[in-house]
Amino acid sequence: MQDIAGVLVNSVISAALYATMAYGLAVIYGVMRIINLAHAGLMMLGAYATFSLFTRFGLDPFLSLLVVGPLFFLFGVVLYRLVVRRLPRSGATPSMESLLLLFGVWLVLQNFAYFIWTGDTQSILTAYTMKSVAVLGVRVGVPSLFVFAGSVLSLVFLNVVLKTTYLGKAIRAVTQNRDAALLAGVDADSISAVAFGLGTAFAGVAGGMLSTLYAFTPDFGRSFLLKAFCIIVLGGMESVTGVAAGALVLAFLENGLSAWTTLPTSFQDAVSFTLLFVTLVAFPQGLPGLFARLRTAFR
Amino acid sequence: MPEPILRVKALKKRFGGLLALSDVSFSVAEGEIYGVIGPNGAGKTTLFSCLVGSLPPTSGSIRFRGREIAGLPNHAVVKRGLVRTHQIVRPFRDMTVEANVSIGAHFGAGKRRGADARGRVAAILERTGLGARAGSLAMALPIGDLKRLEIARALATEPAVLCLDEVMGGLNPSEIVAAMSLIRAIRDSGLTVLMIEHHVHAVAGVTDRMLVLNFGEMIAEGVPRDVLQHPEVVTAYLGDDAGAA
Repeated sequence: MQDIAGVLVNSVISAALYATMAYGLAVIYGVMRIINLAHAGLMMLGAYATFSLFTRFGLDPFLSLLVVGPLFFLFGVVLYRLVVRRLPRSGATPSMESLLLLFGVWLVLQNFAYFIWTGDTQSILTAYTMKSVAVLGVRVGVPSLFVFAGSVLSLVFLNVVLKTTYLGKAIRAVTQNRDAALLAGVDADSISAVAFGLGTAFAGVAGGMLSTLYAFTPDFGRSFLLKAFCIIVLGGMESVTGVAAGALVLAFLENGLSAWTTLPTSFQDAVSFTLLFVTLVAFPQGLPGLFARLRTAFR
Repeated sequence: MPEPILRVKALKKRFGGLLALSDVSFSVAEGEIYGVIGPNGAGKTTLFSCLVGSLPPTSGSIRFRGREIAGLPNHAVVKRGLVRTHQIVRPFRDMTVEANVSIGAHFGAGKRRGADARGRVAAILERTGLGARAGSLAMALPIGDLKRLEIARALATEPAVLCLDEVMGGLNPSEIVAAMSLIRAIRDSGLTVLMIEHHVHAVAGVTDRMLVLNFGEMIAEGVPRDVLQHPEVVTAYLGDDAGAA
């Protein structure tokens, strides 16, 4: 039986990566009220982009994130301008059109990847892939530590942009009330393009980091999209702390169950699916709703 | 006669089979307070939406400061100095009052940044009587303050023409008197004011000229005293029976 420190360290490390995946979805949802089903395809593409930079140019997968991030930002802006902006404006909830469109984009990306990279399973092997170090007495793989650092840096970057820049102020304004933002002179269409770019960049970076931990094919990403949905349902789309809390809950359950029960690893995806199901049935408002209910119950 | 600051000509807006505005034409002079009245469903709010670009007009021309603005998107019209408020307030609920107003200062016609923006926001909060509320979250404000916040954010975009949509709706008589003096003060600071109001006598007391819409058509225009005695206006507001009696 593994000790609690091991589970906690591993949970925090996975949670940071999960939060990075979920943020990409949350930014886009906040500004446009659409759910980016192509997120999984973009993560897969991020993994292959990192793979190509590694095999062609020998670029370290973590350094290549500095290329993948901006590249995917541009790709997201172009995708928005060419495709996504043509959607009819959705109201408070995502429209069927937006789901279908982005599902279609996912399929296109997947087939594009089959065409370029074939369906063979790929993975990235660096000099440090098999190395590990001790953190708080727990052996942790070096790639996992780099993934943790990369995730934290991405999240700090996003938070600084949202909290301290005028662009961030405009993004928050459109998220809170699109009509009011327009009335105050904010060009919501340009802000949507930037938000879609940011969300895409986060998917690309998350995919690039995943490629250092897992083997991948063009179908890669689906189970991670499910995890991101689960986190968002738990933590809500609007708050930074909510997403972080949702990511921690999921990561802790996954790591705890694999450490303390005989649940086979192949069942790990069932954890997020079960959690999603239980959350939607038992407390559909997610963690914030659960806390609010507990507060009233104990007053 | 100088060029009017806003000139609307033959403005039409059609929603499917419904003609919400048919051939509306009027001009507003700089420094005027101009009222738009009419019964429910007359097309008043549609008119404002077309003016500021949140709805594209079906046809017609809108000239603002000598340039055509019909069909421009909402945010572009705001940056040229024409802004509106909404009857149903639209605050940024999770931001403070000050942050709400600063969005207008950053992204409106003034495009102010840093200390310049802060100074401007503070002055507007003072002027609209929200100074003491600067640090409160918008979601915590009572409706009267939310209405003022809506005006404050619009003023922060530094408009030449301010369009007010039913700012007096839901206010009590003493609040209406305060709102009327705020509107006069806004005009006296050099702005032109367009206002939609349901409350006919409140508008009559504050406007220089007014326009009456009914079923999307203009039925009268002129100084309030003449307009309110116009037989079609009396009929539109009180019904045929009252007109005949």
